[in-house]
Amino acid sequence: MITIRKSQERGHFDHGWLNTHHTFSFGGYSDPAHMNFRALRVLNDDRVAPGRGFGAHGHRDMEIFTYVLEGGLAHNDSMGERHVLRPNMIQAMSAGNGVIHSEFNASQTEPVHLLQVWITPAVEDVPPRYQQFAYDPAEKQGRLRLLVGPDLNPPEPAAFIHQDARAYASVLAPGKTIEQPIARGRYAWVQCAQGNIILNGHALAEGDGAAISQERALEIAGDGATGGEFLLVDLA
Amino acid sequence: MNVLVVFYSRRGETEKLALAAGVGAIQARANIRLRRLTDLADAETIRRDPVWSENLERMKKDYIAPREVDGQWANVLILAAPADCMAEMEGYLEGSRATLHGKSAAVLGGFADLAARAGLTVVPGSATDRDRAVAYGRLAASGK
Repeated sequence: MITIRKSQERGHFDHGWLNTHHTFSFGGYSDPAHMNFRALRVLNDDRVAPGRGFGAHGHRDMEIFTYVLEGGLAHNDSMGERHVLRPNMIQAMSAGNGVIHSEFNASQTEPVHLLQVWITPAVEDVPPRYQQFAYDPAEKQGRLRLLVGPDLNPPEPAAFIHQDARAYASVLAPGKTIEQPIARGRYAWVQCAQGNIILNGHALAEGDGAAISQERALEIAGDGATGGEFLLVDLA
Repeated sequence: MNVLVVFYSRRGETEKLALAAGVGAIQARANIRLRRLTDLADAETIRRDPVWSENLERMKKDYIAPREVDGQWANVLILAAPADCMAEMEGYLEGSRATLHGKSAAVLGGFADLAARAGLTVVPGSATDRDRAVAYGRLAASGK
């Protein structure tokens, strides 16, 4: 079964400095029908104005990863981590028993566009942890590039999270098709980040998502004039 | 439990202690707000100190100044200020006496007397390093 979550049906706020869409209930957007999908608790699509951002705030017991599509996001936290996250980099933070961080657009002139994903951890009270690394963008062309997962020795460099969930990124040129089997009892979420894709016959445009359950396989193709970029989250 | 962390920091050292105490509050499963007191020094004085200027640029983004609603929201405060520049904290406590009176506070920086004079109940303890600050923040937020 594939249930489409259309872009325009998401919670939406334009605060001027922040234009944000919430796939699931978050902050001032609350909809009991859209609280989470399995362990996937938050999927925010944020555009942050130059020089603006989220001031220092706390987190506890959440696996948070950020995928930048355009621009740079500056991160500071109570562990002393200070970095700028850009496209073709993965950042994952396990909030564990407590962390404080801030996130700002690193540019004074250019906007930043990002997806932020929160996954409920399988274990609580663990020490907080921060991971960030870059990868070659060719690694997500025409294939699924693992970004985060629970494996201590992943098949390719990926951030560790405390949950039986794996997130992948992919960029598909028009007509390029990939197939991904879904193990029995597993679920998945596909989020079209940019452009257009076709998921098992369903057209997804930028901002559209799809909840997938009781399917044996996914066939995903780049569509439209430029193809599409998407995240796939495999969930228990 | 709602914990308001109010600190004054120029070069980022007291900020680190305040953040550590804030992490302790999160460990105790409290909700936290972080607020930095605005400098009383004039712009020229700040400009002459490059470390202060650089940190201030960042901290002005990361924190807003405490508002009256923050004090009303809080059950517990965590207060931090360097021992040699107390004017900002003194001004805050003096001006917030009506809002903060009767609440409890962890005090990082040896100004427990100031906090007590503002009507706050000071949580016993102190901290000058990160680990102790985490433990002190956790203790304050646990309401014990």
